[in-house]
Amino acid sequence: MGSDVVFVIVVVTALAFDFTNGFHDTATAVATSISTRAMSPRLAVTMAALLNFAGAFISLKVAATVGSGIVESSAVTPTIVFAGLIGAIAWNLITWYFGLPSSSSHALIGGLVGSVIAATGTGNVIADGLVGKVIIPALIAPVLAFLVAAIGILVVYRVVAALRPGPVTGGFKLGQIASGGLLALAHGTNDAQKTMGVITLALIAHGDIAPNNFHVPEWVVISAASAIALGTYSGGWRIIRTVGSRIIKMDSAQGFSAQGAGAAVILAASHYGYPLSTTHVISGGVMGAGAAKRLSAVRWGVAGNIVGAWLLTIPAAGLMGALTYGITRIFGTGAAGPLVVSIALLLAIVAVFARRLQQGPALTAEA
Amino acid sequence: MVPIADQLVDWAALGKVVVASLVAGIGVTAAFSFAVLGTTRSLEMRRARRSVEASAFAVLGALAAAVCVGAVVVGIIVMSSK
Repeated sequence: MGSDVVFVIVVVTALAFDFTNGFHDTATAVATSISTRAMSPRLAVTMAALLNFAGAFISLKVAATVGSGIVESSAVTPTIVFAGLIGAIAWNLITWYFGLPSSSSHALIGGLVGSVIAATGTGNVIADGLVGKVIIPALIAPVLAFLVAAIGILVVYRVVAALRPGPVTGGFKLGQIASGGLLALAHGTNDAQKTMGVITLALIAHGDIAPNNFHVPEWVVISAASAIALGTYSGGWRIIRTVGSRIIKMDSAQGFSAQGAGAAVILAASHYGYPLSTTHVISGGVMGAGAAKRLSAVRWGVAGNIVGAWLLTIPAAGLMGALTYGITRIFGTGAAGPLVVSIALLLAIVAVFARRLQQGPALTAEA
Repeated sequence: MVPIADQLVDWAALGKVVVASLVAGIGVTAAFSFAVLGTTRSLEMRRARRSVEASAFAVLGALAAAVCVGAVVVGIIVMSSK
């Protein structure tokens, strides 16, 4: 009975994480389209939510990486998964509070690794999965997106140099609708799967699925797709503003280049099963599209804060996951610990949102 | 150090990701630029009653747009082929 309660809490927490993932990463797909006025904010967010939902059904390869390639699934208990999720949600909320586009994927992986280490030591962390599938791609992906967007925008400016600005801007705004749509689809494919992987880990820990028979049940796919789409629709406006207008003030060609670079890198990585951060990629693309036009066009202070958050994400979420596991265990091995932590987190979320509401809306007309 | 890195990281797969990203990202951006160029110039030539040039630019625009549509289709196939 106790394990069933913990399992239900874990699934609800995983879906809550998925919601914050969509909420936090809405900017990934729509920030540049909103910033260049290619689409209205509400239309862009609605389109992204629908395509996030559709994208979640397309592939399950990344879910398998998260569910079976980062930590030994046989060593995982529902409480470990719960603590990892709380670590990830807490880090997502902290970075959202400061408007920083950090990686929800890395928060999740960091949280999970931290709670596994706290519970069982380092022996159950799959080093080659963590380094080869997460850390190295995390270092390469934003740089790659930066390069692709930078070269891409230089090509664009060369090709359309002799044209009047009006048709060029209009043309690239149209292109942004397509590239933003593809990005939203890729984001759904990439990010919803991480929650699917975690819920499947919980199913393994609960004894519903054998560790050597990793597969994602249909209800997990549908619920994860719905949660990320709802989160995306809610719109994380603070991060949309950072990505869309605080890194660079972009034109529609730069927006298209950043989105095109982002989509290309994400799709290529997704094809090889790397659980890449879509947020890192699009932020790298935006910086590249700005730096290629003029180095001083990029607000390097903002970019520095973003990169700092990237570097901190895995260790910080890991620490929070480990701490959560420790706090949970104070209450024993039953459902009491997860219940107390969930209630405490809910109260903290209400307090943070109330404080933000007092400070007024985060999205301005320019964002 | 290098052998450990080789054990942990599939450099060949990462290399393919890098190459595919560069080719697809820059290729699609360039193709879309030519689609904009072709369409805009074609309309300008048509207004100037230069039908041959207008047709040539229209063909350029259409071909470039086809490349972009093809890239989107390939992208969706890549996503779904796992």
